Amino acid sequence: MKKNPISWLCLVLIAGGCAATQPEVDPIPRAWDGNPNLNGVWQAMGTANWNLEDHGSYGGPTEYGVFTATPPGLGVVVEGEIPYQDWALEQRAQNFAARFAEDTEVKCFLPGIPRANYMPYPFHILQGDQKIMMVYGFAEANRTIHMDKETPEEAPIDSWMGRSHGRWEGDTLVVEAHGFNGQAWLDRAGNFASDTLKVEERFTPMGPDSIWYEARMEDPNVYTAPWTIALPLYRRLEPNAQVLEFKCVEYSEELLYGHLRRGAEQGGQ
Amino acid sequence: MKPVLKTICVAGLLMASSIASAAELHYVRVMLSAPSAAVKWYGDHLGCEAVADQPRVTDCHGMRIEFVAGVTVGGSQGTGVNRIGLSVPDVEEKMLALEAVGVGGAGVRLQRFADGSLVREIPGLYNHGFIFDPWGTRIEFVDDPDHIGFHHVQLQSTDPEAAIRFYADVLGGKAGVYRDTLAGVRFGDVWLFVEKYPEVGRPAATDERAINHIAFAVEDIDTLVADMTARELNVREPAVPEHARTDARQGFVSGPDGVLIALVEPNWQGTQEEQFVGLVAEEDTTPYETPLTPWGEPDLQGMWSGNSSHGIPLEKPEELEGDELSAEQAASRRERGTLGSIWGYEREWRDTTLGYVKTAPSRQVAMIIDPPSGRMPPMTELGKERYAKLQELRYNRPLAGGPEDLSTWVRCITQGLPSMMMPRVYNNGLQISQSPGYVAIQKEMIHETRVIPTTPKPPLGENIKQWLGHSRGYWDGDTLVVEVQGFNGRAVFNGAGENLKLTERYRRVGETRLEYQFTIEDDTVWTAPWTGMFHFDLDNGQYELVEYACHEGNYGMTNILSAARAKEREGAQSGGEE
Repeated sequence: MKKNPISWLCLVLIAGGCAATQPEVDPIPRAWDGNPNLNGVWQAMGTANWNLEDHGSYGGPTEYGVFTATPPGLGVVVEGEIPYQDWALEQRAQNFAARFAEDTEVKCFLPGIPRANYMPYPFHILQGDQKIMMVYGFAEANRTIHMDKETPEEAPIDSWMGRSHGRWEGDTLVVEAHGFNGQAWLDRAGNFASDTLKVEERFTPMGPDSIWYEARMEDPNVYTAPWTIALPLYRRLEPNAQVLEFKCVEYSEELLYGHLRRGAEQGGQ
Repeated sequence: MKPVLKTICVAGLLMASSIASAAELHYVRVMLSAPSAAVKWYGDHLGCEAVADQPRVTDCHGMRIEFVAGVTVGGSQGTGVNRIGLSVPDVEEKMLALEAVGVGGAGVRLQRFADGSLVREIPGLYNHGFIFDPWGTRIEFVDDPDHIGFHHVQLQSTDPEAAIRFYADVLGGKAGVYRDTLAGVRFGDVWLFVEKYPEVGRPAATDERAINHIAFAVEDIDTLVADMTARELNVREPAVPEHARTDARQGFVSGPDGVLIALVEPNWQGTQEEQFVGLVAEEDTTPYETPLTPWGEPDLQGMWSGNSSHGIPLEKPEELEGDELSAEQAASRRERGTLGSIWGYEREWRDTTLGYVKTAPSRQVAMIIDPPSGRMPPMTELGKERYAKLQELRYNRPLAGGPEDLSTWVRCITQGLPSMMMPRVYNNGLQISQSPGYVAIQKEMIHETRVIPTTPKPPLGENIKQWLGHSRGYWDGDTLVVEVQGFNGRAVFNGAGENLKLTERYRRVGETRLEYQFTIEDDTVWTAPWTGMFHFDLDNGQYELVEYACHEGNYGMTNILSAARAKEREGAQSGGEE
């Protein structure tokens, strides 16, 4: 039930319909054009960034104690498990084993879509009249959702964040994203996609301060069938909520270039 | 010196017309830096033929193209004369042959379609493909079996109907629709196609661009000029230019959409010497009123480019006088700037290469507008110390022991402020997005995005310092004012760091122009505040930010550090110094 907001939305509508003598109360804030107003600072809760699937807790390198442990969490994959092809399941296992060195988040690489939306950091939605921008603090990631293109355009070049075209379907912002380079991991557990990934995202307001977020993942080179994640995004309600700079590059440099440092063992190898 | 497309002369028919002064498209003039190289290039790649005793002229399948050595400030694209069109039997074969030439040196620059293809079919019309010559003239190939050879000149107009009326009524062309699809005017065998200018604003004037003007031959030039004068057109009286090969007179008129048009008598054979053309299209001086977003704030949204400002030095060079460079000085400064900033890149790699960039290089002498000297105010002792250290690192940086010894830009962390706003040799895109109460400013290089509130927000705490500080904005009329403080001081700007107070002013000064001012206040570094300014130009039609994933592909770090270690090993082995 947690993964499906539809029954909840229906209740609101029915309640509105019954109270015929009351002025209709719109639970969704509206933008200048009547579409839902998604402006503001949002953030996912939960453990999707650690592992998209159901998982108990597990540990990591012990050097820093509990900091490297993974908290337990309910999965956000609607189908329960990601329908990997056999080779891809094996690849995921290899990724998991190497996650503290190979996850693209560890290296401060751009997080890609959909991962940017459920990292444990706030992001800012700016809803303009032609574009919607999403600005993330991590790795200076951002995306521009083109609302002004009648037909989606091919991505001119593959990229980490892909190319996004959006449209409104009723009160749902639907975003088609493609043109990924296939390098960004989907979480810290090694889940992944390839450069043939296509993502259809649906942002459906549940009220003024929450959005039901769904992302349907289609990648015939990695999965046996499309699959979907679904989770809520919450508005950050602090009066001064904002996205702060998280320029993480320098925290990744020892991992990436430490072997080339003066005095490092076998320097230059 | 840049090349200029000079003149194309069509040996076509004189058109019968309702007026006495029916004209014939006589030549196209291309300005460029190397006319003789251009004659060779047009011969090698387009099959045009050199003209005896006229070393700067080519006969391009029936059209005379005159090349003039001169300074251009941009290619033909973006002007009222977008391109010239040649008809060949097989466009695909032609494009594949040109692809094989490559882009190196004075090669052939192909313009591919969005799907990567070189040729596209327009059903019912023709197949077509596009290239640029090395100096920025756009050339289209079509396959029109009825007319192989020089086929058309493509005009772009804010008001195509009016432009067609001009060429038909004033110059005596025959208005028509080519193959029921393309509107235009025929002069003999050659079409002037006129399409709607696809961008915001107006096309740039052709003067100073690669295709400098198009020329029409007219039997009775005096009657035509009288007719034009009666129509209140801006005409320059015909005269025999200096060093002319014949006694044919040449006049000029400003046509629609900034297209410079020459009028010549039919025996025109050009000039012996290079000739510069000085008639400038009239500037639109109407004050600009900034549009509002649908929710009522000044609208700065769009894709802006800092390309035109590339090359402006921060401080005014001491040897320069006046506030503005000549077009020639600006062009040569740009050429020095693009060549000097990234060595080893071919012209095609640099966004600001003359002839390719759509906008003219700025003639601004220096960015600093206050103080009026154009130079930074005197520095404090601390400022001098820091400035000297920066210069030392710039010119004499020791071998890097680790990443932290390299600049934050090389490390793909940040360029800092206001450095990240500065025009560079490429990736000068600036995307401005707005939502009620917020403006997001993203600079293409290195994809840093600043989200700026425009309503009062509490300041951040003293312990939160950022590379780009804290930006707080407000609207002062139509100007977005952004105050930035709270820098971590690690991306130093000419010595300013943690104490810098930066005030930026963003203001649209035209439909396609954004003025950017930055005021630097740091009394620990300078004895007085100072202000710089440059412009961005709107390019919504074509430009889009690419993802400048800097850190993700930073092979330079690995190479610099491993090279440093290798040098140290070499030094140790030879017993020399590091």
